[in-house]
Amino acid sequence: MTTTPEPFEPRIVGFLCNWCSYAGADAAGTSRLKYAPNLRIVRVMCSGRVSPELVVRTFREGADGVMVLG
Amino acid sequence: MNRMGEYRKPRIGVYICQCGSNIAATVDTEAVAEFASRLDGVVLTRVNKYTCSDPGQATIRKDIQEQKLDRVVIAACTPRMHEPTFRRTLESAGLNPYYLEMTNIREQVSWVHPAGEAATHKAMDLVAAAVERVHLHRALYPRKSPIEPAALVVGAGIAGIQAALDIADAGYQVYLVEREPTIGGKMAQLDKTFPTLDCAT
Amino acid sequence: MMDAGRHPNIRLLSYSEVVEVHGYVGNFQVRVKQKPRYVDIERCTGCGACVEACVWKDRVYSEYEAGLGLRGAAYIPFAQAVPMKAVIDPNSCLFLTRGKCSQKCVQACEARAIHFDQKEEFIDLKVGAVVLATGYELTDHPSLARYGYGLYDNVIDGIQFERLSSAAGPTGGRIVTRDGRVPETVVFLHCIGSRDEDAHEYCSRICCMYGAKQAHLALEKTGGRVYQFYIDMRTAGKGYEEFYKRMQHEGVRYIRGKVAEVVPDAENGKLLVRGEDTLLGRYVEIPADLVVLLTAIKPAEGSRELGKLFGVAVDKDGFFAEAHPKLRPVDTTTDGVFLAGCCQSPKDIPDTVAQASGAAAKAIVLLSKREIEIDPTVAEVDRDKCSGCGECILACPYHAIERVEGKAQVNIALCKGCGTCVGACLAKAIIGHHFTDEELIAQIEGIFEREPEYSFP
Ligand SMILES: Cc1cc2nc3c(=O)[nH]c(=O)nc-3n(C[C@H](O)[C@H](O)[C@H](O)COP(=O)(O)OP(=O)(O)OC[C@H]3O[C@@H](n4cnc5c(N)ncnc54)[C@H](O)[C@@H]3O)c2cc1C
Repeated sequence: MTTTPEPFEPRIVGFLCNWCSYAGADAAGTSRLKYAPNLRIVRVMCSGRVSPELVVRTFREGADGVMVLG
Repeated sequence: MNRMGEYRKPRIGVYICQCGSNIAATVDTEAVAEFASRLDGVVLTRVNKYTCSDPGQATIRKDIQEQKLDRVVIAACTPRMHEPTFRRTLESAGLNPYYLEMTNIREQVSWVHPAGEAATHKAMDLVAAAVERVHLHRALYPRKSPIEPAALVVGAGIAGIQAALDIADAGYQVYLVEREPTIGGKMAQLDKTFPTLDCAT
Repeated sequence: MMDAGRHPNIRLLSYSEVVEVHGYVGNFQVRVKQKPRYVDIERCTGCGACVEACVWKDRVYSEYEAGLGLRGAAYIPFAQAVPMKAVIDPNSCLFLTRGKCSQKCVQACEARAIHFDQKEEFIDLKVGAVVLATGYELTDHPSLARYGYGLYDNVIDGIQFERLSSAAGPTGGRIVTRDGRVPETVVFLHCIGSRDEDAHEYCSRICCMYGAKQAHLALEKTGGRVYQFYIDMRTAGKGYEEFYKRMQHEGVRYIRGKVAEVVPDAENGKLLVRGEDTLLGRYVEIPADLVVLLTAIKPAEGSRELGKLFGVAVDKDGFFAEAHPKLRPVDTTTDGVFLAGCCQSPKDIPDTVAQASGAAAKAIVLLSKREIEIDPTVAEVDRDKCSGCGECILACPYHAIERVEGKAQVNIALCKGCGTCVGACLAKAIIGHHFTDEELIAQIEGIFEREPEYSFP
């Protein structure tokens, strides 16, 4: 195995509610706030849509972190 | 799947919007388009200056008709802004509007990250996600439900009375429900009213 | 008021309340309970003979006169009431409370309109749109006692002042103390219960202006001294600042400061208003004959419950919540239900009328469509997989799922497509159209597809 020390870049998936947190992420954009580019957002119509299996599945696909924001 | 239940590969068109320089200054849109063109099912990719503009929409319409696109991915601003616009575009080209998938590379990429590889990579991932997702979209049809041509107004103070009169004047039946024995609300109790000092009732 | 009473398209249901609501935008089924008036509204001519005859005449505080006037058990609320019909108050009528009365009202009524056996009635309505306009009440917060409210006769609220000043009111429009004296000094106290963290945090918005109006009336009618204790004057509105300036020129004395207490002066029967003039930085004590409290506005009693019936939430202060504070101020989160007037937030008459016309326009736009399109991105139950456990019914925030023949069934007109039921269904028997598990999983797979050619991010 190679041992080139690369900085750890976590892969984060966020499930965001269309009406609140997703709108909030849009507002962050409109206000030109800056945050790390490690997040990939999946829009849902309510954070209640996100079942535990979906969270587990996301980890299995390779996510290092999962956020569910309502 | 087609009607016979056999799998037919979708024909996906991917549109990467530059939004002037709003996206293009941060995200390498050409690189994203090149990346998208290699994704499964994608038969056409385009980079537009303004996808939401009339010419931008006309291009999509033309592509749907001439290139027989049956799925559309648009990477642009937030779907909270233009999803209804582009759904109408699909519909006007004869495609079911629910074959659209938008992904947000402006509010959630170019406006929040510095220009460079990281932003471009993020845009690519979001486009790949949208392409995967649009594969599974199905045609959906809105249902219609009749509207009862009458209104209920609850509370008959000046607010309820005004609303009831306006709706009634438009020709609809209004039921004005007031819990006290008389209508009028607080205004009926006032003497003169500011700033003109005229009578309340 | 009169226009609403006689408009051919308006059916007035007075003395009534909404008790049940079903359905959805375009198709609401509403049940209204009409309380018994004990007067046949068809027969009653509004002549007032029963009011004169009532053995309990002038023995009950009149709501309309804000407790400053009296009425009987049989009464007509006020001279321009709509409908102009008598009503018998079941809480004070001798016959209705004790079962014994000579029933002079019945004898006096030539139209034979009085029926003590009248029962409450239920009326079922079908409507496409709803406007909530339940208005406000004045606060009766316990902290008001420190200003002598409810303790001293000559401490009154704004509505009581209106009744005193009204030519049709209990004093014929003379502004006098409870014992009939023309006051030498009238003191108005602003922000009573408003902008007060112990009572209501918000500004009630109308009091600065009606305080100015009442100051003018007090000056004009008593010729005495008029003081206003205020925290900040807020007179935004067309012609409002000018009106306030005019009051200052007319001689209303504005003192910036909040009053600490109102106490009786045993020596001369006056009230001592004690506070601080914060601009001069000194303590003031003003002997007053009449103290008017500009009390906070709060939502009408029962609005929270009414909101529940229509699926309309209330904000932290109890006012109905609009769908968006800037862009959708007359809509609610329930499609087809709109808001007008003080039930949404404190406001004066011009703003109330404007919002009411806005709500009416929204309702008219909806009704004129005849048909609504229901968004197909809703949930659908696969009856073969559904076990009928009911988890989804509990999870659904919109009450859009019912159990039909042992299985869940989604009412697509109520469903907002949030997918909470999809997440909650253990049997995976609910499809959230356009947000299926498969679609979301494909999307997640897509996110990680670029690997390993490129590195994240
Ligand atoms: C002392 C005072 C003086 C004022 N002077 C002025 C002035 O000079 N100029 C000015 O512009 N504004 C003035 N205002 C403000 C004015 O009163 C309001 O702007 C206006 O009355 C608001 O009307 P509304 O219809 O929203 O509420 P309301 O007048 O409160 O009417 C609400 C109605 O709904 C009914 N209701 C409540 N709950 C239910 C229910 N569950 N079911 C059925 N019916 C229900 C009530 O019985 C009432 O009839 C003054 C206010 C006060 C307190």
